[in-house]
Amino acid sequence: MKNTLKVERAINNLTQDELSKRIGVSRQTINSIETNRYVPSTLLALKLSVVFNKAVNEFFSIEETD
Amino acid sequence: MNMNMKSIVECERKKGEKFLNFRLPHYYKKIGWVGFALVFTVLLSTKFFDGDYEVLKIVLKKLSLVFLLLVVFSKEKIEDEMIQKIRAQSFSFAFLGGVSYTLGQPIINYFVFLIATPEKAIVEDLGDFQILWFMLTVYLMFFYVTKKRS
Repeated sequence: MKNTLKVERAINNLTQDELSKRIGVSRQTINSIETNRYVPSTLLALKLSVVFNKAVNEFFSIEETD
Repeated sequence: MNMNMKSIVECERKKGEKFLNFRLPHYYKKIGWVGFALVFTVLLSTKFFDGDYEVLKIVLKKLSLVFLLLVVFSKEKIEDEMIQKIRAQSFSFAFLGGVSYTLGQPIINYFVFLIATPEKAIVEDLGDFQILWFMLTVYLMFFYVTKKRS
């Protein structure tokens, strides 16, 4: 699974720390998602979608290997 | 009737989930580590003072397990879903490790003795303290290493 979390964060002018506080996770979790080491739950994806004001599939997409 | 049965099942499921997701507050982690360090120091110091400490040693060993359990069962500073995933992985790793250790260690022990001092070679099961201590330590090591790496 790919994501453009980093880009979305830049568009919204948010640091990893600020974003993590907005959705109630640790900064490390945001970092792990951005570097593709952790796939978030649907709940977390939806929370991100609320923060970015975008549909989930606009910043998460599946790869052929998935 | 059916409806009622369903709601009972639902209620039980929720209760079960609540029980399984139960974690102690974060400050228990500190209590656990400090307590463990204290118990460990006292245990070590019994080696340097003469006297009969058999009962004390048994109590302290059990106490050290309790303190480690406090560390294992307390929340992280931010207990989010990634931590819960790492936790689940650590539990299964510690369980697998514990079983393999319990089964494998006596055999390895036997063969090591067989090579070194054949007359002392016997297959002896591990004690409960050793197994539990191993599982708790493996859990903690796996948990903190994975947490740091992720």
